[in-house]
Amino acid sequence: MGSVRLPLSGILGLAPLEAAHHSILWNVRLPRVLLAAVVGGGLAVVGATLQAVFRNPLADAGLLGVSSGAALGAVVAVNAGWASQVFLALPAAAFGGALAALLLVYALAHAAGRATLHGLLLTGLAVSAVASAGLSMLLVATEEFRVKTVLFWLAGGLEGRSWPHLGFGGACVLAGCLLLWALSRPLDLLSLGEDEAASLGLPVHATRLAFFAGAALVAGAATAVAGSVPFVGLLAPHALRPLVGPVSRRLLPAAFLGGATLVVLADLGARSLSARIELPLGSVTAFVGAPYFLLAIRRGEGRA
Amino acid sequence: MKPVLLEARSVHAARGARAVLHDVSLSLHAGEALALVGPNAAGKSTLVGVLAGLLRPREGEVRLMDRPVAEWDREALARAVALVAPESEGLSALTVRDRVALGRYPHRGPFRPFTESDTGAVTRALRQTGIEALADRSLGTLSAGERQLAALARGLAQEPRVLLLDEPAAHLDIGHELALFRVLDEVRGCGVAVLAVIHDLAQAARWAERMVLVAGGRIAAEGRPDDVLQSPAAADAFGVRVRGHALPGVSGPLYSFEEVEK
Repeated sequence: MGSVRLPLSGILGLAPLEAAHHSILWNVRLPRVLLAAVVGGGLAVVGATLQAVFRNPLADAGLLGVSSGAALGAVVAVNAGWASQVFLALPAAAFGGALAALLLVYALAHAAGRATLHGLLLTGLAVSAVASAGLSMLLVATEEFRVKTVLFWLAGGLEGRSWPHLGFGGACVLAGCLLLWALSRPLDLLSLGEDEAASLGLPVHATRLAFFAGAALVAGAATAVAGSVPFVGLLAPHALRPLVGPVSRRLLPAAFLGGATLVVLADLGARSLSARIELPLGSVTAFVGAPYFLLAIRRGEGRA
Repeated sequence: MKPVLLEARSVHAARGARAVLHDVSLSLHAGEALALVGPNAAGKSTLVGVLAGLLRPREGEVRLMDRPVAEWDREALARAVALVAPESEGLSALTVRDRVALGRYPHRGPFRPFTESDTGAVTRALRQTGIEALADRSLGTLSAGERQLAALARGLAQEPRVLLLDEPAAHLDIGHELALFRVLDEVRGCGVAVLAVIHDLAQAARWAERMVLVAGGRIAAEGRPDDVLQSPAAADAFGVRVRGHALPGVSGPLYSFEEVEK
């Protein structure tokens, strides 16, 4: 399988592997597959979480400025030349950008008293727009040979990622997902709306902040190591809700598994579909995700 | 008179910068049926929000079982007072049963698993409101009236001492409306105090033991429903002429309303 063919018997430990093949399996393929699983699972959990918090089936990590913040951070790292000098500088900067964007959204939305969901959404939109504008400006000012690094990163992909990426991404994603899952009952409450949740004894604003922090941790880390991987956060929860039900305690783990499977398969496609080049992972998920979504909308309209 | 469960004392309240309630005092007794009526934008929903502890009064205080609401722990407050209010925008993916089960949240908190008594309360609430058949439907697929019954069932599953309802019958057909008020009477029979904001004045007069008229953020009249409805304050507040007609075989007057030339 893959662009370098490894014998299946060797992978399964039935026959000895050549040293080069052994190295490909352990240092390239395995961490990459695990990272794909972590990224996909994390993005799906974030999607399911934000869809409940915003009471909107189309919510995902992009809403809170996380994606564009991460992109801006990555471009800054490349533009300043850190990315080529310091190991993991790009993902670290992307992660920082994601968290900074979320903090900014929350602080701005709260500047005028307690933030409403509506206010948060609009603020997220504004911050995203500013981050994207900043990204374009920086990109123009970036030396040409570095632009390609950014473009590759923006398109999403797992090429060249190894154990350190998995260590950082995996730790953040799993910790964040566990936090979100632990709060699954409050998450269901929030999905009923602010007043109903508050009347049932939930400290709405503190709880919502906990969900945003968890979501930013997961989405920020996933975007930092894999670039932009669209549609996973929409697709996995949407496809699994009819199967396992909408209750978060069951939906979040199912979404994690579904998102993980989706991205592992998409990454397999990204490196196997073309022998000459590796396709951007983000393009593969979008190519799969968008048609699925259109079909789902059709079916939904047919029922209604 | 039965003991006072919930009481507002000289409450002033605001929505943002806009002052809405001015010096409102109100008490709600165990087992009582109280109808809150008044024209649009009179401050009824704000008063309900203040009574439920969701909105802090600027001045004055709300006391639950003779202790200030502000001193109550959130979950303990939600075990004692249930609020059934019109929903905010957006839709939950949850089913009716999930929503009703969340009525047990104040009893179990975020982490403790549900017990048999919780499932029992949920089943009873679904049966009482007559929506067992809808239990596994997603909230997004229901009509507004069905969602309203689901919200009521959630309030009943809380097993509160005080039930506050903001326009509980707004989207119900007449059959479901009568069933709703029957359910409220059943709940009152167990000593629960019920306060409902009701726009249909004739229905409010049929159901309530006591009526409070709110106009311009103040209490304009209070007392037996027939007295309140036929008071000059009511005619003034709504800008209509209210007339009660006695009809043989019907207990209490029937009402007719006419617009007053301004």
